[in-house]
Amino acid sequence: MAEPNGINERQRELFIRKSTRVAASYLKRAKALSEMPDAAKPFFDVLENIYIKLTDIQKPEDMKSIGTLCVMVPAELIYAAGAMPVRLCSGSYTAYSIGDDYIPRDACPLVKAVMGFAKVGALPAFDNCTMLVAPVTCDCKKKLAGVMDSVKNFSRKNTVPLHVPPLKKDDADTEVFLKELYRLIPILEKETGVQITARSLAEGINMVGNAQYEMSEFLKFRRHDPALISGTQVMAVMNAYSYMPVNLWAEQMHRLNGDMIRRLEQGHFVSRKNQPRILVTGSPIAFPNIKIPLLIEEMGGVLAADETCMGERGLYDPVSVIDPSFDGMMRALASRYIKPCTCPVFVDNSQRIYRIQQLIKEHKIQGVIYHVLRGCLVYDYEYQLMEEAMGKLDIPIIRVESDYNEEDVEQLRIRIEAFIELIKLKELKKEA
Amino acid sequence: MEKYYLGLDGGSTYLKAALMKDKKVVGTVVYPTGIDNNGVAKKIVAALCKKYGISRTDIGYIMATGYSRKILEVADDDISEITAHAYGVRVTAPKEYRPGMVIDIGGQDSKIIYLDANYNVKNFTMNDKCAAGTGKFMEVIAQILETTIDQVGALSLESTAPCDINSTCVVFAQSEVISLVARKVDRRDILAGMHLSMAKRIIKMMKKSEKGGDILMTGGGALNIGIHRAFEEEMMKDVYVAKYPQFNGAVGAAFIASERNEVSSKVVKDTTLERC
Repeated sequence: MAEPNGINERQRELFIRKSTRVAASYLKRAKALSEMPDAAKPFFDVLENIYIKLTDIQKPEDMKSIGTLCVMVPAELIYAAGAMPVRLCSGSYTAYSIGDDYIPRDACPLVKAVMGFAKVGALPAFDNCTMLVAPVTCDCKKKLAGVMDSVKNFSRKNTVPLHVPPLKKDDADTEVFLKELYRLIPILEKETGVQITARSLAEGINMVGNAQYEMSEFLKFRRHDPALISGTQVMAVMNAYSYMPVNLWAEQMHRLNGDMIRRLEQGHFVSRKNQPRILVTGSPIAFPNIKIPLLIEEMGGVLAADETCMGERGLYDPVSVIDPSFDGMMRALASRYIKPCTCPVFVDNSQRIYRIQQLIKEHKIQGVIYHVLRGCLVYDYEYQLMEEAMGKLDIPIIRVESDYNEEDVEQLRIRIEAFIELIKLKELKKEA
Repeated sequence: MEKYYLGLDGGSTYLKAALMKDKKVVGTVVYPTGIDNNGVAKKIVAALCKKYGISRTDIGYIMATGYSRKILEVADDDISEITAHAYGVRVTAPKEYRPGMVIDIGGQDSKIIYLDANYNVKNFTMNDKCAAGTGKFMEVIAQILETTIDQVGALSLESTAPCDINSTCVVFAQSEVISLVARKVDRRDILAGMHLSMAKRIIKMMKKSEKGGDILMTGGGALNIGIHRAFEEEMMKDVYVAKYPQFNGAVGAAFIASERNEVSSKVVKDTTLERC
């Protein structure tokens, strides 16, 4: 039992030394971008606790952690079962390098990082999850769901694949997902020993809805030009959502919105008027892999919006309950997690382009950086369409491909720097 | 008196300098980069001053570009290679060139820049973490074939039957070439094959959506007539070569330096997010 996954105690020690150091350096760089609002600090503390101090999530003792992946697992159902969802999608370079040995080379780095953490067992927040709900989305996630249970001595004894229909337009597709959610109910109940009732489900929906409300308020501040907060710091705040009970996150978000009001009143800005406002979209940007947001802001851009699944996507659309019966709520959940979801695993995903066009208008975006993680085919597929759509709007767009390592930083830097210069020169021409 | 403006392009292999006055190139100098970028840059400035009989104060502004652009102490400011090359072709492109695509082949990267009719950058692509399709590729192959990079172009034109080189990776191509040598294949045919393989590799980077305008080659790679012809053959289009191709980045940087009041003070200066 000393080496449950071929990783001995010494390797584990070295792993922790490296992974904590990497996480610390990224947190430091994000903090150094501009003066952080006081209310953003608790979110950074959460990331520090999880990734550097290696503590479990701060939550009530009797509240179990249920691991999730992607944005299609309804948090409301898990809260209704008395547990909290912990999103295991990770951006750890160190875990990625371990996972690389167990997952095919051409698979994406995110699934390798998830596998890496499972093998090493270094993060209590991950390891204390008693179950994993794994939506069947892209090929990498699908196969990951299939192999997670083979990781030995791993406390997550039970991986539950959640079927996500590849189509979402027709009611029949939502019906498929509704059945899946109903199938999930007894599984969750068995795990936590708590029955999901109409009341607890309504409470769950309210709790998450409250967080979404705070998020929508926050997005209003993020639209402001000049910027009130660094976009990289916003990515960290959004990442912390994965490791905080939703009511706590909403509470802190409320405070952050208070800080934003004060900054607005005092004219406390973190950018100048002429700094290019950039939107990031594409493959997930999970902590500590925030090198692209960091480079954008270190090179003089403002990360003014994102359309990513670790960012605003997960919290943008609220559950709208029309029929307050149990089945009505379940239908509202099924509909919310499928219909407006802009993940490219869906066959027709034209909504994503609409959403980006909306963000460009609202957030006064001048350029789009399209992030593709190596091996992330579904996002790469949509680049062509996105480029066409941006061409019509006369918005410059650039595709940057990256992996979970620090070796490509200089290559990324030159691309991002040149892109920022391109926007500035374009604006200059407009003035003249 | 109109000042001189200096552009420094600190590349992976060579440090190039271009001196401009009245928007015209006065002179160029190239030194191997070595390990001391800063020292070489200083030497270059001194050498240029001596060569053209000017003093350091006659140079109004020094703009750096290239890999070492951030660390050259003699420079007043820096700009990315993409922008520098796009500006450079305003000066170095032949008269008949209609702005469209610029293919730059450097020592350790190659890039494609798409320009609109007014020479503004529309988009660009670069090779990833790999030396395939770069000057390094030519250098490695030239070495195996016991020739030098300045000879490979002319030699390859003598080829009658270019051979296939399937590997795009420098290391794999190297072993492929070694086995061709062992089979006593004419080195001129190998070199012609190498140029075609490089051209194919770079053409793959091109965006199908970007059409219109002409094709121009810049960078040290453009000095190689073999790769120039290979592009024409593969793309079935005329390919222009910039004047002073190796110095195109430096010329562009000097050009921006001369326009610093109009462009660079607004574009270049704000390179960090204001810490307030």
